[in-house]
Amino acid sequence: MTAMREFVSRLLGLFRKPALERDLDDELQAHFDMLLDENRARGMSEAEARRVARIRLGGAEQIREAHREQSSLPLLETLAKDLRYGFRQLWRSPGFTLVAVLTIALGIGMNAGIFSILDALALQPISVGGQKLASIYPIFQGHRHRNVHNSPSMFSYPEYKAYRDQNHTFSGLAGYVPFVITTAGGERPVEIVGSLATCNYFDVLNERPALGRGFVEADCPAAGASPVVIVSDDYWRNTLGADLQIVGKTISLNHSLFTIIGVAPHGFDGTEITPSAFWAPMEMQPALLPEDQFLDDVDLSWMALLGTLKPGISLEQARADLSVITGQMQTKYPGTMRLEVRRAELFNRPEERGYIFAVGTVVLTAVGLVLLIACANIANLLLARAAGRRREIAVRLALGASRRRLIRQLLTESVLLALMGGALGTFISFVSFEALMRSVIAHLPPGAPPISLHLSPDARVLAYSLLLTVLTGVAFGLAPALQSSRADVNTSLKEEGVDAAMRSGRIGKLRNSLVGAQVAVCMILLLAAGLLLHGLYRAQTIDPGFEMKGIDTVNFALTRQGYSEAQAAALHEQMKERLAALPGIDALVQARNTPLGDEHWETSARLPQSGTSLQVRYNRVSPNFFSILGIPIVRGRDFSDSEVQSGARVLIVTEAAAREFWPGQDPIGKTLEVFGDTSPLLEVIGVAKDAQVDLLGQEHPRFLYVPTSLKESADDVFMVHSTLGDAATQREIHDAIHQIDPQLLFTVARLEDNPENFRAFSRIVAAASGTLGALAMLLASIGVYGLVSFAVSRRIREIGIRMALGADGRDVMKLILGQAMRPVAIGAATGMICCAGVSRIFSVLLFGVSPIDPVAFLLVPAFLILVAAVACYVPARRAMRVDPMVALRYE
Amino acid sequence: MIERKAEVLQGTLDLIVLKTLETMGPMHGYGIARRIEQVSRELLSLNQGTLYPALLRLQQRGWISSEWGASENNRKAKYYSLTRAGKKQLAAEAKNWEQIAAVIARFLQPRGENVR
Repeated sequence: MTAMREFVSRLLGLFRKPALERDLDDELQAHFDMLLDENRARGMSEAEARRVARIRLGGAEQIREAHREQSSLPLLETLAKDLRYGFRQLWRSPGFTLVAVLTIALGIGMNAGIFSILDALALQPISVGGQKLASIYPIFQGHRHRNVHNSPSMFSYPEYKAYRDQNHTFSGLAGYVPFVITTAGGERPVEIVGSLATCNYFDVLNERPALGRGFVEADCPAAGASPVVIVSDDYWRNTLGADLQIVGKTISLNHSLFTIIGVAPHGFDGTEITPSAFWAPMEMQPALLPEDQFLDDVDLSWMALLGTLKPGISLEQARADLSVITGQMQTKYPGTMRLEVRRAELFNRPEERGYIFAVGTVVLTAVGLVLLIACANIANLLLARAAGRRREIAVRLALGASRRRLIRQLLTESVLLALMGGALGTFISFVSFEALMRSVIAHLPPGAPPISLHLSPDARVLAYSLLLTVLTGVAFGLAPALQSSRADVNTSLKEEGVDAAMRSGRIGKLRNSLVGAQVAVCMILLLAAGLLLHGLYRAQTIDPGFEMKGIDTVNFALTRQGYSEAQAAALHEQMKERLAALPGIDALVQARNTPLGDEHWETSARLPQSGTSLQVRYNRVSPNFFSILGIPIVRGRDFSDSEVQSGARVLIVTEAAAREFWPGQDPIGKTLEVFGDTSPLLEVIGVAKDAQVDLLGQEHPRFLYVPTSLKESADDVFMVHSTLGDAATQREIHDAIHQIDPQLLFTVARLEDNPENFRAFSRIVAAASGTLGALAMLLASIGVYGLVSFAVSRRIREIGIRMALGADGRDVMKLILGQAMRPVAIGAATGMICCAGVSRIFSVLLFGVSPIDPVAFLLVPAFLILVAAVACYVPARRAMRVDPMVALRYE
Repeated sequence: MIERKAEVLQGTLDLIVLKTLETMGPMHGYGIARRIEQVSRELLSLNQGTLYPALLRLQQRGWISSEWGASENNRKAKYYSLTRAGKKQLAAEAKNWEQIAAVIARFLQPRGENVR
């Protein structure tokens, strides 16, 4: 209370300073007069009376100073003074200020933008219906078998029901199955992505449909007798023509008719990054996800859970509550499942978070490095300015300013500079990153699902930018401030001393190390860009080891589209015959997935003798798969039609797989246990040449081929080879399939386009790292340029003397370049070593290019050194042209 | 032998000023300084000017108030007087001081008497 009162009067004191000081002066005068009276009364002479009075009162100036410090807030006052002074200083050199502010804006802006993406992806809580949600994840410990449909961190329907009915901590608990890919019928069937949701989904999320109604209990019948669906606002506007009478009409999903009972509110498209086009009750799983019976499976991960907590309940309390239920349920695998309850965020599943944060760290480090280079540049500029302000600082030191006070003043100035740049950069990033995100999304591979991500910078992003800005200000301001406040008053006040201090001094060394650090950081970024670009080039030109020309793929998923098993098998057979008979098509094979396609199948393979087990990727292929792709069978033979018909337990392995499983032995006739199935074992009948059928750039894939199975072949893709050319063939195939079944959804594509899946991502990353690298180089070369031109301007006299003594322009050039290139060379070497140490993290994107690829590690440093040399040469030329006579008279 | 005057102990000046104002009633800076010197029998060394920042501090804390007036010799002077909060503060500080003084005194007593 008292402290508050004092603070308020001090604050008020700030504004009534003159009055307070006048008061004090009057008081001191009165006091002095009274002392005089007293002394006179004691019989002192006038002079003596005055002297004694002055001694007893004490130094007037000290009293005033102490009084001033007590009367207001000295810390705030000096800050205000420093700010005013800083502004004046910056205003006085607008060129410097502009360059510095723009550089900082660039650095901070990039960091803020990247952070706002990370924030939107993984830090911002999902807020729907104006409330915060909690999400729940299972974490499995130890070895246990569990079926996974979407993500391992999901629940089964029976588990959900147990949590929903037995918990005491949630006011509502909803579940949904995201990424349900279905075929929406119509004139032209299209694939749309929707969700299955529990009946209470819209109630718990507090999202009231804009049209119609949400689900009610009667909508979720056991068998799904009268299917209902709620569509998204987006789907309603773009596909259903924004029909206001839509409620009650039907749409066809996977060949079942669904009655539309509502349209979700505008702006709500689920809680995943892929927008949901519709929501159907969980019980509609057999129609929408016809692959299997999911609803009653206790041990299956396929639903995500979201809930609202009762008031006053913490996440930990909710976790404890639900864990009791988990314990009761776990009769089969006691103690292997533990729960995690977290505030709901966009990328929230434990495995996704690990990935997002790893990638986020790499990207933030990269842009952080660019910011560091920018900082070094500004520190260098400040040091150059400090040389100019040396006299000013020396004068202030001589007048009694303390060193701490000076450092505070200089730091205030640099933080002020950083704040101006940071504010500008943050503002620009807020308005531009949304557009940047859209352009990145547009460059995703063609098969990628739609993405809806709303960047809405929140307090966290602002706080991050502010923290970064202040750190930046201190980072580039501290070293120059420490340096320049160390001025030796005596030498600095003499004009001559300025040069001497600069030449011999620590400032030169500091500037050199700053440039060295810049070059090192720049080298890391440029090398990364070089490696990634080489990787991209490799991805564009690589020979995957199989033939792609003239081959078209036909993709469909019959069972997923709602065809019954018998229908699907018949349709598949019919299409196969029809396509094989088309003119121009000289070969047709089928396979589980296409080489380098976006599906990958994996299983474990066990050697029966030794029991060694390895994870392997595999494909199911028909006879002639190898011949159509031009993959030679190097030993043994291809599958035969009779083996497919009889379901023979045979296997073809790649050379790499053969080497790994049976090193130094003939693999033909050897057996493997695959798919966890022991009887009988699969026998190797052939060895196929290694080809990159699974991942682009993977030279020696451990890969298995098994024959197509009659039972599970309805979803197999076709690959046809045609002599007609791609366009004609694709048209032919379209027409043929359309005649067989106009409602069938399928895609026809060139096999040659498959590597695009890999290249698209590589292209985005290479472009981003190239941009960063170029930016880093620009900043670093400005740094080098600044270093050299400053050195030259400071050494004009020395150069003049050298030239007068007989040195020619070449000697001078050699001197200047030699000294400037030393920190560059040291920095470059450091950068190369650092990059070689970490470049392995890119290996996925290098497609077989070595992480210490000699091409990148020779070309990039050579290029960087060349650029640095040019940045040195341009200002150094001035030194060559120095006229000794002029130089000696200089200053 | 040089006679040494005691420095005013940190924090005790507030107490001294408050007590002086309580005894003397409203008083100006010179009067307070004179009184302190007299009471301490000139043993306390006081740069009389250092009173003023202290007076300002006491004012900011609301323990004393001030008013311009005329002195005995008809000079314009600022008179300080104790407020109610100041009286309470004085009582609290005086009690506190007495306790401290008693504790210090016990430490300074001869050893033998200390054990009991």
